Amino acid sequence: MNALLQGATWDDFTSWLPDLWSGFVLSIEVTIASLAVGLPLGLALALGVQTKAMLLRGICLAVVEIGRGAPALVLLQFIYFGLPSAGLPLTSFVSATIALGWSTGAYTSEIIRAGLDSVPGGHKEAVSALGLSRMDGLRYVILPQGLRVAVPALLGFSILVFQASSLCFTIALPELISRAYEIGTNTFFYFPALATAGLFYVAICMPASFLVSYVEHRAGAYAVR
Amino acid sequence: MPQQLRVVGQHVGKEAPLALTNKPYVKLEQITKSYGAHTVLRDVNLSVHSGGVLAIIGPSGSGKSTLLRCINYIEPPNKGIVTVGDVTIEGETPVSRRDLRALRSKLGMVFQSFNLFPHLTVLRNITLAQERVLGRTSAEAELIAMQLLTRVGLADKAAQYPSRCSGGQQQRIAIARALALDPKVMLFDEPTSALDPELGLEVLSVMRELATSGMTMIVVTHEMSFAENVSDHVAIMADGCILEYGPSREVIRNPQSARARQFLRAVNER
Repeated sequence: MNALLQGATWDDFTSWLPDLWSGFVLSIEVTIASLAVGLPLGLALALGVQTKAMLLRGICLAVVEIGRGAPALVLLQFIYFGLPSAGLPLTSFVSATIALGWSTGAYTSEIIRAGLDSVPGGHKEAVSALGLSRMDGLRYVILPQGLRVAVPALLGFSILVFQASSLCFTIALPELISRAYEIGTNTFFYFPALATAGLFYVAICMPASFLVSYVEHRAGAYAVR
Repeated sequence: MPQQLRVVGQHVGKEAPLALTNKPYVKLEQITKSYGAHTVLRDVNLSVHSGGVLAIIGPSGSGKSTLLRCINYIEPPNKGIVTVGDVTIEGETPVSRRDLRALRSKLGMVFQSFNLFPHLTVLRNITLAQERVLGRTSAEAELIAMQLLTRVGLADKAAQYPSRCSGGQQQRIAIARALALDPKVMLFDEPTSALDPELGLEVLSVMRELATSGMTMIVVTHEMSFAENVSDHVAIMADGCILEYGPSREVIRNPQSARARQFLRAVNER
């Protein structure tokens, strides 16, 4: 244990907390921003890949396939380092939001599409037979049922986005991992600092996982009922 | 009961003169439907007068349900002409949304699997389309919904979710939902096939009452007593064609073709 702590004392740990805390807050902020961009994008893409308009469908398919095909790290690098050379410099926070939002949108579009597909075909027929417009059918019948099915998986994915926010370390966003690494550079207590940062992740992810299984259970109960 | 009918069933009197002119209200001409190489309907012709009740019977896979779905274009036919009242749609031409809306506004549909929306209360199931399609206020829509729920004997279920209702109750709610939009014709797609005999009976009695009130109805069914006693005409289908068509008793008691006799014998032996 002492070997792992590398001689770091309790006072060392407490002195890191303010820095780690501000990194932690930034990690959460970038996660929320990415989800705020990514989840609506996911819904739009889920509907877009099913539309009959060929051009729109092609664009949506491309966005989904690139978002799913390219690792989030590559998207981050591309947007932060690549776009400025094309004349579009972005701050690291904005780059992170776009890259993680894109990745989130691409993956959640599949989750949402599966949720929408789970709505029985008979309900779509009932929507038509009642004369409801396609928009009304989506808004009042298909989305409320389909999204409810998708919620547990979307929550699970949100946890992954929080974990993926650590990749922003590579684009100089001073989030949790960057802060821990910085402490390491200054004090050479790399392992203790990174391990403390890890505890912050665990503190969010474990309760969140429990929440997901609870919601999953509830959603299941709804489906059976 | 008859007084209540008048409140909700404005549709009853309006189209009655048509029956006198001897012009069918629903007319299907040469309806053809195929899925790939598999032809489900071949040149089907059928008509129903205003106020008439037509039962379509026949073995499974004979195209009864598909024919019913072609009437409101849930399954667009590949060929043929569908006329309902003053709306005529030809199978081959691309159908405009306006025509589709006009067609469907005259047709109410009840499904074998009810298809109530499980995330909405019974009341909301009935008011939703009234508000969104007919533009009624929520107060109007709720009043009409409650009248219809009373008519089908389920006023006490208004605030419940469909999952808390039995199959028979759900189907009666589905009938109320369709009636709320003042359809001129009600289409029933095996409305009792998913129900046990007892629950089926309560649905059939609602349908019988509806028929007596003068509603035009097309009913795909396996219920022979309904076909014989409630409907005025019966069509027997097999292999995508209409084998026999005529007044109910004549067709059921004295079928002409061998295939129809075979089917009816099988039904009677059960």
